Amino acid sequence: MAEAEAAGDAGVAPAPAPAPAPAPAPAPAPAPAPAEQGAELAAVIGATVPTGFELTAAAEVQEKLGSASRISRDRGKIYFEVPARGLPQVHRLRSVDNLFVVVQEFKDYQFKENKEDALKDLEDLVKKLPWTDPLKVWELNNSLKKKKTKRKKHNLQSTASKEKLNDNGEEEGTDQKDASEQEDCAQNAAGVEPASGQDTEKTQGVASRNGEEEEEEEDNEQSDAKDELQAGSGSETKAGDGKTSDGEAKVLKFRVTCNRAGDKHSFTSNEAARYFGGAVQEHFQWKADMTNFDVEVLLNIHNNEVVVGIALTEESLHRRNITHFGPTTLRSTLAYGMLRLCDPQPTDIIVDPMCGTGAIPIEGATEWPSCYHIAGDNNPQAVKRAANNICSLLKKNENKESSTSLGIPLDIIQWDICNLPLRTGSVDIIVTDMPFGKRIGSKKKNWDLYPACLMEMGRICTPGTGRAVLLTQDKKCFAKALSRMGHIWRKGQTVWVNVGGLHAAVYLLKRTWERAEEKRSFW
Amino acid sequence: KLGHPSELPPEPAPDYEGDEPFLRRVHHVLLEVEVLEGVLQCPDSGRQFPISRGIPNMLLSEEEA
Repeated sequence: MAEAEAAGDAGVAPAPAPAPAPAPAPAPAPAPAPAEQGAELAAVIGATVPTGFELTAAAEVQEKLGSASRISRDRGKIYFEVPARGLPQVHRLRSVDNLFVVVQEFKDYQFKENKEDALKDLEDLVKKLPWTDPLKVWELNNSLKKKKTKRKKHNLQSTASKEKLNDNGEEEGTDQKDASEQEDCAQNAAGVEPASGQDTEKTQGVASRNGEEEEEEEDNEQSDAKDELQAGSGSETKAGDGKTSDGEAKVLKFRVTCNRAGDKHSFTSNEAARYFGGAVQEHFQWKADMTNFDVEVLLNIHNNEVVVGIALTEESLHRRNITHFGPTTLRSTLAYGMLRLCDPQPTDIIVDPMCGTGAIPIEGATEWPSCYHIAGDNNPQAVKRAANNICSLLKKNENKESSTSLGIPLDIIQWDICNLPLRTGSVDIIVTDMPFGKRIGSKKKNWDLYPACLMEMGRICTPGTGRAVLLTQDKKCFAKALSRMGHIWRKGQTVWVNVGGLHAAVYLLKRTWERAEEKRSFW
Repeated sequence: KLGHPSELPPEPAPDYEGDEPFLRRVHHVLLEVEVLEGVLQCPDSGRQFPISRGIPNMLLSEEEA
């Protein structure tokens, strides 16, 4: 389902145009029609993905969900439509970090130049938005999450301490909510205060004076900021006004997170979050809570593109495979993207010769189980952590009756990348995260290391059909090392990514048909 | 060498691809047996590499490299 581009882009059509009017009022792009009676509930899902891998993510969505995706100009996000019953599959996507359901998208929102006016527009926007269906999707998503938490607690052993902490966190969140529900009911019994208008203003006033929000000015293109609304005193609630349709008198807690990028806005993300949040509070009579919220409303502003959404994920999905972290553990979503770039075929041998904590081979063995994965590192701590991560993975897959688990096609070895104990031409794919020279190793070491790596990787890789996908931030050193290896490696695609704030690149290399020289016969 | 000497021939027979019982045994040894403590021996040089907790250490010494 492709949404039409707003007419505003192509030049302004005067008055009686049936298309969205470009004049003073902001023109919304056509939103998905609300589900009619008997029609299935569908949702437009937004997903954040590692910047640079939007196409890879779109390919995965097409393959696993059968939906086409749109890639927004706000980098690192893709949008696709799915029926609500497809939500479980959406959560199983390996290339996405976070998910949200889109309430409405504005392709070309005209912000008023004056700050007060612009903010007032945002406030007024709230009651015009089609919240009903997205909120249904949010509810559905919640029930899915609850089932997942219960299963998680069953399977995890005590070694996975990090995940356990999250489980406890979730539990606590629920308990707190119950406690506050009771409080709210008590307030009702005592007598309801007069209608919302003035109180909302008061609450906002308190919020701004509290100064607990982070004040971060961003007026340049590239930055974004997360700012949340925090209400001062509790707002009054009307019994039975909760958003659950099954009649429970539940008051939902929410927060608004605003990301703003662009240099023409007259307001900060902080202010936008506050005004928008105030209107949300008034419209739904929800309670604002920065930490224990039920609903996270997202307000993403990227120049003139505005997207309002509701978050569907809390903890980011990207650390899912790793329980034992190292100093530079790679995001699983990034590892997935890199692997997908190599187009692994069944029976391919895939090697990560500098595996660190094993993020890449673990993701590989999970998603491409018909390939054989070999991981190695020279550092004993890295090897130990990788082995532990593999054990955690095995425990997760454990059969409940017997204590044996299905094996994973993955092995780990301690080795030296310059002297790999692998036969010449025996490896189909090499995928690795090369030392950037910042947190691991040094730039100086890289000058020697990179050429030696490329040489040895060239030796073990199958001529003609073999390929390598290498991530590095030390692009200069890499380019120099590669320039001398034209007879072995041919450069394919390059993907520009952001890793821990550093601008890095993922290089796809194809192995030429030229056979490598046989090494001196140590091996 | 892994304690299954009687089950596997020293070398694959010429038509091993069709020999299913053989394939099953090889599969078992390759993918289902894990050596936790032991050694890997290089068939050419005889050099032994230790395996500890399932992980072989194949780093070469200064002289060897």
